[in-house]
Amino acid sequence: MSETVTLEPGGRRGRRATREPVDRHQALLEVKNLNVTFQRRGGRATRAVDGVSFSVKPGEVVGIVGESGSGKSVTSLAVMGLLPSRGVQVSGEALYRGRNLLTMGNQELSSLRGRDLAMVFQDPMSSLNPVIPVGLQVTEVLRRHEDLTRQQARDEAEDLLRRCGIPDPRRRLGEYPHQLSGGMRQRALIAIALACKPALLICDEPTTALDVTIQAQVLELLKELVSELGTAMVMITHDLGVVAGLCDFVNVMYAGRVVESADRRELFAHPRHRYTHGLLNSIPRLDSPRGEALRPIPGTPRDTIAWSKACAFAPRCQFADDDCVVDDLELAPLGAAGHRVRCVHPAPEEDK
Amino acid sequence: MTSSETVSGPAPSPPPAPGSDVLLSVRGLQVHFPIKRGLVFDRTVGHVRAVDGVDLDVRRGQTYGLVGESGCGKSTFGRGLLRLEEPTGGSVIFDGQDIRSLKPEALRLMRRRMQMVFQDPLASLDPRQSVQSLLSEPLTVHGLSTADAEEFGRDSSSSHLAKAAAMLEVVGLPRGALAKYPHEFSGGQRQRIGIARAMILNPDLVIADEPVSALDVSVQAQVINLLEHLQDLLGLTYIVIAHDLAVVRHISDVIGVMYLGRLVEEAPSDDLYAQPLHPYTIALMSAIPIPDPEIEDHRERILLRGDLPSPANPPSGCRFHTRCPYRQQTRCDTEEPVLRDLGAVAPGRRVACHYAEEILAGQIAISDPSLQIDPVAG
Repeated sequence: MSETVTLEPGGRRGRRATREPVDRHQALLEVKNLNVTFQRRGGRATRAVDGVSFSVKPGEVVGIVGESGSGKSVTSLAVMGLLPSRGVQVSGEALYRGRNLLTMGNQELSSLRGRDLAMVFQDPMSSLNPVIPVGLQVTEVLRRHEDLTRQQARDEAEDLLRRCGIPDPRRRLGEYPHQLSGGMRQRALIAIALACKPALLICDEPTTALDVTIQAQVLELLKELVSELGTAMVMITHDLGVVAGLCDFVNVMYAGRVVESADRRELFAHPRHRYTHGLLNSIPRLDSPRGEALRPIPGTPRDTIAWSKACAFAPRCQFADDDCVVDDLELAPLGAAGHRVRCVHPAPEEDK
Repeated sequence: MTSSETVSGPAPSPPPAPGSDVLLSVRGLQVHFPIKRGLVFDRTVGHVRAVDGVDLDVRRGQTYGLVGESGCGKSTFGRGLLRLEEPTGGSVIFDGQDIRSLKPEALRLMRRRMQMVFQDPLASLDPRQSVQSLLSEPLTVHGLSTADAEEFGRDSSSSHLAKAAAMLEVVGLPRGALAKYPHEFSGGQRQRIGIARAMILNPDLVIADEPVSALDVSVQAQVINLLEHLQDLLGLTYIVIAHDLAVVRHISDVIGVMYLGRLVEEAPSDDLYAQPLHPYTIALMSAIPIPDPEIEDHRERILLRGDLPSPANPPSGCRFHTRCPYRQQTRCDTEEPVLRDLGAVAPGRRVACHYAEEILAGQIAISDPSLQIDPVAG
């Protein structure tokens, strides 16, 4: 598949020239203190995302790891402005090249979305329109954001599908999503996201619905993109294995908050938060010696206390004491540079 | 796990005699589904060969893990064993009796000894039945096992209730759960109920189809440990069907790898990871991400091209040859490899590949270098 992706930046006609040059050292996206609250009329407010901050530089892959319900997908939807307007309160800042996406007008956001910012969703069957041919769904983005004729857009789409590893792309353009296999649908979705060579790509569990051999193909494709195009990527997943192979920097989320963030090597070598530590111990590994019992985390992710400043993991944590429930916890630096942890009793550094 | 006995020598080819070490013996099992066309007259225009000739033996007290990608027929195989899907060929010998020749009443009695744990506990538990009703239903159908009848008394609603409460305790749920309904539980707790329901009849064989894949990562380990605990406690034999090789390797003694309705490799689980022999297993192993950056960065990867071919029209010769990175000019596309014992080269292992020895010895390299991804330097 190495020959499939040779997307060179620039070199295409249209409005491409108007885009600002990329500064590799400055953060492309900076999320600061993002809060998302859902409220139904008469119901109690639910804090889905609570004070999440992270930043992504061009060519960097930032991972957001968490279980279902930890708020990782809501974070990405909020950044892309895809949350419904009713019943949702979003506060904080999401700065894309210094412009706040959260306060931006709809029209301005629409011109960025699909061109500068793109997103790959988890379930390709429900995010592709089942009654529109795949080709039309790819050319739609191109025609919306680039000055292309129908024929140009079609050629471009064919080229895109080929580069994303879809065999016989000309025939596939006329087919409907149900005629493609799961792996091909996900590739088509990635092709749509990449159509305008976005500067920032948000992938929300892009490989969860796929088999491992197909997952490996898709991850390899995404890796090549980042290294060749300098795309900044936010990778949202629950799979620690995917994170270990792909991400440069990792944020671990639990119950709407980032509980630990570190460089990928640092995080896996010295997990400090009790949740990360417990999670790494509880998953069976392909290379671990057999016969060793797993050490599961007791309880379920839903066993959280009502929202407060205290540690949300405390009810499941065997090291929890009164301090954990009382203290006002912040994400604080600990150990190696860039490693930050939100925990009263972090695991000792040597204890892997 | 601990009760697994090591038996020297390769598995015998003819089905073993009753009372032997082998509890379940499958020979040439086929499950084909007809593809029908036509409005008035149903014409059968072909068959989806979901399971197409699988041979395997499962020993008492052992865990046999079956892995493969979606569509490879592993779930159909599990259902075929219990005749939840009617097999179209081959034989299933369970403790000396051919399951396929059983009359309905004999099959019903046999099912007491073979139970199943399903993937999605929310879909496999009736939302309108309370846990008490869910757990006592198998007892109403089959009655208490002889051992339980001594402990809890003759079959009656009170003895069934006592057994259900005892079973709940074994799987780690409070007695108060009896009066609740499935929606009141979390995913992990629901799966515990599904497990309790399968185990309440004291079966000999439990087939677990993707028992943890619907659960949260931090909850999976709890259920895996529970399955291991119950095996030690009740002396069960398991067939665990899953796509997650890490999970299967953790709980299985022997692993079979399926591809497009066929078993392509079978090996003791430690050996399979240390030295996969079939090209598909090699690629599958290298595709599974390991949560450790040090290993991920220094691992060689082999990518497979394309998708799984259609099981309605499987490729000629070796079914894997269309995607195989080690494909050779001769034999691969014309001659179907049989699952054969490798003998002295790799004792106790079976592989369906013409060139397994050559690949193991390093005499055959990957034909297309772009499929091989070398580790990042540094």
